[in-house]
Amino acid sequence: MAMIEIKDVFAGYGIGPDILTGLSLNVVAGRSYCIVGPNGAGKSTLLKVICGQLPPRSGSVMFNGQDLAGLRTDEVLERGICFVPQDRSLFTDMTIRENLQMGGYILKDSAEIDRRIEGVLEMFPVLKSRLGLAAKTLSGGQQQQLLIGRALVLRPKVIMLDEPTLGLAPKISRQIFDSMNELKAAGIAIIVVEQNARMGLNFADWGCVLDLGRMVFEGPSQDVLSDERIEQLYLGRKRQTEAAS
Amino acid sequence: MVQNIQIIILGLALGGVYALMASGLTLIFGVMGIVNLSHSAFMIVGAFIAFYAFTLFGIDPILSIVITMPAMFLLGIVVYKLIFARSFADPAKRSVMVLMTFALALVIEGTLGFFFSNIYRSTSPSYASDAVIVGPFFLPLGQLYAMAMSIVILLLLWAYLKYTWTGYAIRATMHNRTAAEVVGVNVDRISMLVFGIGMALAGASGSALSFVFSFYPSKHWEFVAILLSLVVLGGMGSLLGALIGALSLSVVAAFVSSNYGPTWSPVTFYLALFIILLVRPQGLLGKKSGL
Ligand SMILES: Nc1ncnc2c1ncn2[C@@H]1O[C@H](COP(=O)(O)OP(=O)(O)O)[C@@H](O)[C@H]1O
Ligand SMILES: [Mg+2]
Repeated sequence: MAMIEIKDVFAGYGIGPDILTGLSLNVVAGRSYCIVGPNGAGKSTLLKVICGQLPPRSGSVMFNGQDLAGLRTDEVLERGICFVPQDRSLFTDMTIRENLQMGGYILKDSAEIDRRIEGVLEMFPVLKSRLGLAAKTLSGGQQQQLLIGRALVLRPKVIMLDEPTLGLAPKISRQIFDSMNELKAAGIAIIVVEQNARMGLNFADWGCVLDLGRMVFEGPSQDVLSDERIEQLYLGRKRQTEAAS
Repeated sequence: MVQNIQIIILGLALGGVYALMASGLTLIFGVMGIVNLSHSAFMIVGAFIAFYAFTLFGIDPILSIVITMPAMFLLGIVVYKLIFARSFADPAKRSVMVLMTFALALVIEGTLGFFFSNIYRSTSPSYASDAVIVGPFFLPLGQLYAMAMSIVILLLLWAYLKYTWTGYAIRATMHNRTAAEVVGVNVDRISMLVFGIGMALAGASGSALSFVFSFYPSKHWEFVAILLSLVVLGGMGSLLGALIGALSLSVVAAFVSSNYGPTWSPVTFYLALFIILLVRPQGLLGKKSGL
């Protein structure tokens, strides 16, 4: 059974037009999803709807049979859905330890938070040696690791990442995907929006192509990768740039 | 030498009170990102409450903070709900919020002027006009008490921000609003709370100013200009910056006043505001350095 059931969701900003136009998607526990699609398709908007930052105009988002509509971000976090947004929202002037502690903010239990941070640090040794430094001193890739680590403090069931490799060198991007593979191995469901469609689809179990606010195709990642029509419409340019580099 | 130390003492005493006044302004800026031009008008409201608590019931103006702070906190929550909560949700309206605080200052001033008229008032507890002589130094008790009261309140505020979960959430929101939201801070509730706290601090400032200065409804323009200079010097949104700005500029103003006459003292602040904005608009500690 699906853990998250998104059904016929319409959503938009303010009095603006619908950005999501009847979108549906099922997320199964422990499985990983890669969402690809052109700029402005509504990928980030979808993640914002799931995590409660943007209430849908109609349709429903169910989590384990319970409607998430009307819940605030903190209430969604409590249920085990964490979000790593596109804009690298770290507390750049706070230390790495403080950033991780803020990750556990909703627990409001310092001892428990510190215990969990120990666990998170085992996965990210780079952070461990720099706990007292300001987060802004980290490189782009390390900041992304900190963002993931901060989300992991809550031991989520689902983690959503919006373009985690944006602006990172290919080698660093692979490290981020290595980390994501560890999460996958730990049984956490992952929803990742990825510009580098090939890398994202190779990582994920399930691929989704989003365009104009709805799913135009979804299926096992390898099917998405090998579908010629999708390749032409959505992945084509990527392959050329990759071939060039 | 003795005279210089005397001037520094007087400057610091006043600076402590200015720091209390500026704390609410900088806190609200840090969380909401708006310069609340009505801050001083709310201080005058607090001063009026302290004034009537004193003249009608004989309540000492320092003790009157047990009335002014909660009363102004509640008023702040109401004002936030009525005016800012909705505008805040709508990005198009956000840009006019500073103008709204300007309008709010005018409304408060007009209302106070209508009911109480623009005559000079001040509370006059016995210590307000008293002084102690320590060696060669002259220490006006009223200003010293006001400074002590300010420092106690600022220390409590600092401890609240540093050692409570809500304080932690407030600081996080000041650092990065979206990041705070992502980790589950209810930033709307934090904004409302901080506006209330800022107003409570304005209320306490009102209690203090009621016996340190004489006041009348339109006096707030003078204060808001001074507070802006302190807060801009220290760095908008930084509490420590506001404290440093308040103490240092007050001492400078005290020297200017003693050398060139008291009419030049406010000019020190206005000139400082102008120069800082030109040379180092982010101030000493900038917004992002938090406490
Ligand atoms: N905060 C916002 N307010 C108004 N419109 C927005 C906002 N965020 C995104 N949009 C609009 O929604 C559309 C989809 O954006 P987004 O979901 O970020 O696309 P993607 O992540 O697929 O590139 C775009 O046209 C964008 O302009
Ligand atoms: Mg996006």
